[in-house]
Amino acid sequence: MSMPEASIAKLLTQPTSGERARQRTNRVMRVLVGVAAFLAILPLVALILFVLLKAVPFLVPSFFFNNPLDQEPGILNAIVGSLQLSGLTVLISGPIGIAGGVYLSEFASPRVVAIGETAIDVMLGVPSIVAGVVAYLILVPVLGFSGWAAVAALSILTLPIMMRSTQEVLRLVPQAIREASLALGVPVWKTALYVSVRTALPGILTGVILAFSRALGETAPLLMTARGTNAENWLDFSTTMNAMPIVIYQYSNAASDLLIGQAWATALILMVIALTINVLVRGRTVNSRTA
Amino acid sequence: MAGLELRRTGGLSADSFFRRITGTGLIILVVALAGLVVAFVGYSNPLWTIQSPIDFLTSSTWSTGTINENGEIVDALYGALGAIFGTVATSLIAVLFAAPIGILAAIFLVEFAPPRLAAPLTFIVELIAAIPSVVFGLWAAGDLSNRLRDTIEWWIASSFGRFIPFLSEDPESPAADSVFRAGFLLAIMILPMVVAVSREFIRSVPISLREGYIGMGATKWEVIRDVILPTARIGLIGGVLLALGRAIGETIAVTMVIGNAEGVPSSLFQPGQTVASKIASNIGEASGPVAIGAMAALGLSLFLITTVISLVVRVLVRRFAVTGGRS
Repeated sequence: MSMPEASIAKLLTQPTSGERARQRTNRVMRVLVGVAAFLAILPLVALILFVLLKAVPFLVPSFFFNNPLDQEPGILNAIVGSLQLSGLTVLISGPIGIAGGVYLSEFASPRVVAIGETAIDVMLGVPSIVAGVVAYLILVPVLGFSGWAAVAALSILTLPIMMRSTQEVLRLVPQAIREASLALGVPVWKTALYVSVRTALPGILTGVILAFSRALGETAPLLMTARGTNAENWLDFSTTMNAMPIVIYQYSNAASDLLIGQAWATALILMVIALTINVLVRGRTVNSRTA
Repeated sequence: MAGLELRRTGGLSADSFFRRITGTGLIILVVALAGLVVAFVGYSNPLWTIQSPIDFLTSSTWSTGTINENGEIVDALYGALGAIFGTVATSLIAVLFAAPIGILAAIFLVEFAPPRLAAPLTFIVELIAAIPSVVFGLWAAGDLSNRLRDTIEWWIASSFGRFIPFLSEDPESPAADSVFRAGFLLAIMILPMVVAVSREFIRSVPISLREGYIGMGATKWEVIRDVILPTARIGLIGGVLLALGRAIGETIAVTMVIGNAEGVPSSLFQPGQTVASKIASNIGEASGPVAIGAMAALGLSLFLITTVISLVVRVLVRRFAVTGGRS
């Protein structure tokens, strides 16, 4: 190898100062985005640890089986209230939302789809307090503070969720399956029901469960409608009902450490339910997509 | 869409029946939306008989008035400026923190994290979105708020408080609640949304664009800065706007840490209120059509602003879908 060639090779392989600066920027930015990702998950860890720390001393078995005014206080009425309110909410908004989603995916003309999707987008953006205010203004004067008013507010919030998720999963059903069914002479409605909806059913149910979970955590609309009560209420939606978020909010303002402790314990229960639902549902979706 | 042509030739009544049943679902949603608008306009109407919308937006006095000798309510004035200030301040603080951190975290998840790490991290970030806001509020009121007061808030106040009036705080006796802490809590709550949307749009940048630039000798960061961020720009803006809408409407967590004080606070480190928190804390006491009307007007403003945001995001995202980000 002659000298000029060697120096050329040296020039090519040795980084210039500009090159070094670019590599340095690259390394700095790599660290920076890593730090950002760390910061993004830090709150979850901090929150879970803190709630656990505060809640565990108050989590005795009787907490699940007693009502607020019992000798050993508990939140049984809030648990059954939350389950009833969220359950009835998805029983109402579920069928309506699924129907609308099926219509948008299987029947609607492009113009109707555009209008419907815009309406869903707007409804998805409606803050939960807005739904609460409407129920408070319209229903509470007529029905009083009641489970019905709460279910109405929660249904306004979950309806667009159901419709969007149904439409999205139906969109994933291959067009060829529909065409095969239609080519066999199966009527359109049977194709929609037994082919499209049947294929997308797991995804549709996932949407129902996520809507349930969303309804379970709502607070502001419940405070204006179901209001909360110390009594146990089974299936009487015409009067006040208790719910876990109401308990957390009301007890958090309390002066007594015992009540604040119960707020933490209730928060832990609510959080565990919400996270479990999400872990199970999302884990399922990931599995069925890869399978 | 599959049935459009066939429906005409083989149009059986069962088909049109099913079509109508499912269509009713969509109609109910649209009617509910229209009902929201009508209800807010109708219920807020009595307020405009005693004052103009300009007073509502520009006055910071919120007074239910006094009853005179004839039993009439006089001197009532419903000015929402304090609440509007709080909403703007908290949501901007939230976006200020959540947008850069969320977008950078999304870049990490898509571009840097090994797949084995990216999947669980994405999952964890999504879990934050599943935590009910009242739990965030409880956590902030019981722990986070005090930590923020003693760290970030103290640092900002002692560094900039002397020059910038809105950032001042008495170091001896900091307020129990503050607008800033509510905004920071909102940042945490909207972060998963920023990350999730940003991640989708960053992932959708075509691999060929990246490869072309890498082939020219670009470093990874240069690819991100010069190719990925400009290409995904519209989607990233859309994601931040969506998160802003969420921050504007968030109620219970904010109510638990902002202090619910009337008027425009003298500093971000003083207690305040937002439109949403004002509704939550005042609606129970509102009686009479005018006071109820003021509550409806607050609700109407929240509804209008979030609707505008939803529509803007929709237009942005559609433009992104059409141009593939190259606008």
